[in-house]
Amino acid sequence: MRGKEPLAVKGSGPSGEAATHHRDFLALTHELVSLFRRGVDSPIPCRHFDDLALRAFAYQVRSNPSYGNFVSARGVSPAEVEGWREVPPVPTAAFKEVVLVSGDPSAVQKVFRTSGTTAGEAGRGQHHVLDLDLYRESLLPNFEAHLLPEGGSMAIVALVPSPEAMPDSSLSHMTGEVMKRFGATGSGFFVDRRQGIRFEALWTTLHGFEQEGSPVLMVGTAFAFVHWMDEMDRRRWTIELPPGSRIMETGGFKGRSRTMGEEELYRGLAGRHGISVDRIVNEYGMTELLSQFYEPILRSGGGATRRHVPPPWVRTRVLDPMTLEPVEEGEVGVLQHFDLANLGSVCAILTEDLGVAVGDGFRLVGRAQGAEPRGCSLAMDEFLTAVRDS
Amino acid sequence: MTEPFSAWWFPTGGPDPVGPLAERALTATFSLRYPTLSSADFLAMSEALRAARERVLLPRRAKDVARVLGRVGSRFLDSGDPVRREALAVLGPSAVLSPQMALEVLNGIARDWTAERIVDVIVAEFPDPGVLDEFRPHPSGGRVRALGRPLSLHIGAGNVPGVLVTSLIRSLVVKSSAFLKPALGDVVLPVLFLRSLAEEDPELAHCAAVAYWPGGSHEPETAALRDADLVVVYGGDATVASVRQGIGERTPLVAYRHRMSFAVVGREALDQQSAARTARKAARSIALFDQRGCVSPHAFFVEEGGDVSPKEWAQELAGCLRELAQELPASSVGASVASAIHQLKGTAELRAASGEDVMVVGGPNLEWTVVYDPELTLRPSCLGRFVRVSPVRDLEDIPAVVRPLGRVLQTVAVEAAGARKEGLAEALLKIGVSRVASLASMPWPPPWWHHDGAGPLQPLVSWIDLEG
Repeated sequence: MRGKEPLAVKGSGPSGEAATHHRDFLALTHELVSLFRRGVDSPIPCRHFDDLALRAFAYQVRSNPSYGNFVSARGVSPAEVEGWREVPPVPTAAFKEVVLVSGDPSAVQKVFRTSGTTAGEAGRGQHHVLDLDLYRESLLPNFEAHLLPEGGSMAIVALVPSPEAMPDSSLSHMTGEVMKRFGATGSGFFVDRRQGIRFEALWTTLHGFEQEGSPVLMVGTAFAFVHWMDEMDRRRWTIELPPGSRIMETGGFKGRSRTMGEEELYRGLAGRHGISVDRIVNEYGMTELLSQFYEPILRSGGGATRRHVPPPWVRTRVLDPMTLEPVEEGEVGVLQHFDLANLGSVCAILTEDLGVAVGDGFRLVGRAQGAEPRGCSLAMDEFLTAVRDS
Repeated sequence: MTEPFSAWWFPTGGPDPVGPLAERALTATFSLRYPTLSSADFLAMSEALRAARERVLLPRRAKDVARVLGRVGSRFLDSGDPVRREALAVLGPSAVLSPQMALEVLNGIARDWTAERIVDVIVAEFPDPGVLDEFRPHPSGGRVRALGRPLSLHIGAGNVPGVLVTSLIRSLVVKSSAFLKPALGDVVLPVLFLRSLAEEDPELAHCAAVAYWPGGSHEPETAALRDADLVVVYGGDATVASVRQGIGERTPLVAYRHRMSFAVVGREALDQQSAARTARKAARSIALFDQRGCVSPHAFFVEEGGDVSPKEWAQELAGCLRELAQELPASSVGASVASAIHQLKGTAELRAASGEDVMVVGGPNLEWTVVYDPELTLRPSCLGRFVRVSPVRDLEDIPAVVRPLGRVLQTVAVEAAGARKEGLAEALLKIGVSRVASLASMPWPPPWWHHDGAGPLQPLVSWIDLEG
């Protein structure tokens, strides 16, 4: 792969610019952590957000030469930028080809990689994370607010591989963190990287909770849940999860052969686990962003419009796919996020996800078929099949 | 809003299954209406088409059929003819092409519908064309005859308009009645062609029908697939797989799958005189069909060591694409292509910003994009006139680079001197390339071309032997 070596920061050395960058990073991180700890119910007013965003942006331009050059090639100078909306976003596809570290690359604590199901090993996006604590501080209050709004802990049953089994998965890492913080006795991971879902163990565990009457929080990808439901049907397993149980579902079917509509999936999940559909929360997250978006369905009760909301330290806007200008209200466009938790990489991210603004958040509409080859001349699946089979 | 275009044509006097009509808007000013056919409707139609074949097609000589079809086809090239005017009026909006592009595409594809070219195809495929009409002596003794199946079903992909008309012509000259199921994007030409055929030769027009319905609809698609005696399908692997599943176990299937093409520019085409000309031809090959054809290039490999460097040539190509955006304007790319272009452009800009020798040049409204990328890989384009230009030390390095995509490759345009071109062709054929052309001919293969390895007529016929 090309370009995997980040450009060195000019004059770097323990006492040079690198040290200055490190101090800036620590100072901003400190500020952000205290903000995140106030939780998702403490809004950050626009001016305060812009102030933080501009300082983060200026820091990233200084400490990340690739991004700095990118920004200046676009004719943008941090000194002239007045709000987060003017910060040039990096496309998610760039994470596949360029190392984006704002700070000392040798201080990177972890590299998370996208699942790689759609583009093979070479096409996997990489997010180099400088500070796992900042990541944790962002994900915990947001998760708690949307999955455990009543507080306390609960048994977390994860249909994802453990962080040890899949160290480069941000979803596994995140699930590990929430399990450490909120997971009651009986929590565990039920997916082996090689053998897939450990069906028997999962069933025994859920069945045990059913007998005990203690609620469970199931976490998994749509893909894993479909397999789990297929197995339940095959074995004629039925489960009636105790009241208070809930499910967090994430990820779509990107690049998978078996797909199912969300409604069908949720009805199936609810029916087979004896819970109501409005106990299922969708999480929208991506390796390239260290903050997540949730459907506020447990917080606001059922009946509300399905939508995803960001935590206060993330701003999202909907852009015209052609001009990248904001769309008129109510129109569909590509989502662009500004995530302060991305301080160590790049905060402003342009996705390929299509959505429409709804109230305090947005409704996901789908995915622009994106940077993947498409159209009549060649579909990506076929491209991959060709590569694999040749 | 103008009157919706009627996206079907059924032979007069036969079953008339035009029941309730459905409508589908393609643009603000253009919509289609189409019949909702039941399976019974389709089966009644197919029986009538088979009967017409016995009555009309079988007694005629193949070359006579070709001449009638050629007369109809020529009308699409005759600027005084109302059918050409109507075609041009509806082709742009229905196929999402600019009016200039619609004109260019019609002129290119309808050339294959003239009598001369249709006869050329027959002769290229059957050195003794008489085998299509009667038993003819076989060189090894005995006599043989070649005959199309009673009814063939043609399922279009819609990326290039006119393809289904070409498919129809091939069917009729081998004396197979045809039912055409176009995709959006190639609806209007088959309808107009059959309507004109009915004016020219009402009897022959009894042997073909066309109707649009949304692909995958249970009715009448399930019945149509089971019923056909041969199916021709243009589409992706998923479409082909579902068609294969739906047809009878003994029904022959002729499948044209999605493919990708690329181009190679040798140093001999990069001297001061040729480089600009080469770039102009390259730009045209990209722009035609707005890059949606299987023959459209996704990438260019440009040899080092010529007067003009690969990077300079990429600049030249960008300039030509800029000019062509005036002459052959691009249709507006959809949301997903636009989004993809922004992703790929931004990524390339970041690579350049990271110190890689990457260059991005593009139109102000995403009409075209050239990325100069020193990394030597072949990557499928997101389309929308988006190409990568990569330098290559020597032409002979290319086969190894493109090998991973061998199974989906189709046309490779090679601009190089004879022996070097042939040497490269020799190496490329081993990995699955089925056509090596020049940049100028890349978009318009000859009518007899072996599309993905097979000739145009042979796959449609079965042979009958008569021994002494």
